[in-house]
Amino acid sequence: MTTVSATRPATTQASTDRRLRIAILVLSLIGIGVAGYLTYVHYEGLKVLCLSSGGCETVQASSYAKLDGVPVAVLGLAGYIGILGSLAIRTELGRIAGFTIALIGFGFSMYLTYRELFTIKAICQWCVSSAVLMTVLAILTAIRAVRDEPARL
Amino acid sequence: MASRTKQKEEARARRLAEERAHTERVRRERRLRMIGGVVLAAVAVVAVLIAVSSGGTSKATGLQKGTGQAKTVAGVSSLLSGIPQSGARLGNPKAPVTMTYFGDLECPICQEFTLSGGFPQLVANEVRTGKVQVVYKAFETATRVPSVFQTQQVAALAAGQQNLFWDFAELFYHEQGQEGSGYVTESYLQGLAKQVPGLNFVKWESSRNQSALASQVISDEHAGSSLGVTGTPTLVFQGPTGKTASPPEGVPTYADLQQAIKQVS
Repeated sequence: MTTVSATRPATTQASTDRRLRIAILVLSLIGIGVAGYLTYVHYEGLKVLCLSSGGCETVQASSYAKLDGVPVAVLGLAGYIGILGSLAIRTELGRIAGFTIALIGFGFSMYLTYRELFTIKAICQWCVSSAVLMTVLAILTAIRAVRDEPARL
Repeated sequence: MASRTKQKEEARARRLAEERAHTERVRRERRLRMIGGVVLAAVAVVAVLIAVSSGGTSKATGLQKGTGQAKTVAGVSSLLSGIPQSGARLGNPKAPVTMTYFGDLECPICQEFTLSGGFPQLVANEVRTGKVQVVYKAFETATRVPSVFQTQQVAALAAGQQNLFWDFAELFYHEQGQEGSGYVTESYLQGLAKQVPGLNFVKWESSRNQSALASQVISDEHAGSSLGVTGTPTLVFQGPTGKTASPPEGVPTYADLQQAIKQVS
């Protein structure tokens, strides 16, 4: 009886962590898709598929689309790959690393969204999608980071 | 005897529970400290990224100095040298196609178009060879204070009286400061004018007082409004038959400009 009651919370904890990891995995893959597409069109010199008229082109061509010469799409791609990679490290280090990358991504995404709204005055759906993904990833990785280490089942 | 053994077991269990609780507490505190450190580190990294970003504080003051400025001035001279200028017009006035460029000197998207969009290639190919002429018309968008917009545009037109409008405008775009930071001051405009090779500074200062130039800015804005211009850059191509075309909004590429030229030719 004692054994059963002691095992249940560990099982629940591990199951929640598993769900969080799956959610982070899926969101990171979507993020890689979004950032990968923006990186591809940047280097191929193609036009970004956009719902609003010229919004994505305007944002992509603005000075905020590059950070010291490096396209921010490349940085986003690296961030999503980093978060995805952190899932492979099944220790506290992996959870903290994932949270750190997502938090930096979230902070910088907020800054870029502010620039889109108030400086460039154009909205790029791809960038907004990425900002939303980074926000959710920051929340999920934060939950994983503050939670107790799950028991290995 | 049995009771003593039980007491010992209970004491041992209590001790183990306390040890476990202590270990857990230490682990939790260590993790929270680590997370606090991570948050601080992330804030520091984001602050650095923002500072490095081209929209960061380095752009706030605008004017370049030293070798950066020399390189910019040389680049602008190389782009424009040998191309006829008259007022806000760039290129041969007899060129069959006219591109009217509605712009705001403080507009960052105009900057992108002028410096890295399709514009440099258009100047190097079609304008230089006399196929296209470009006429700049002022249209206020990014500049938040109308009087500043008027002053900076008149400053550019005053350079235009010495056939150096485009040198001034190009330098303005190259050394554009942070939008909304109030970087366009008298010292900024004078600093730009002093960078324009061949500009007579005293004459430029004197020209800035001409009411005709202020009227031209107002007339440019009316022209834009009557054409339905709402943002900058807005480009209107007109061919020899009067046919017009406009490339897509945003930052048109050289291919977009070529397409518009083809449509009106």
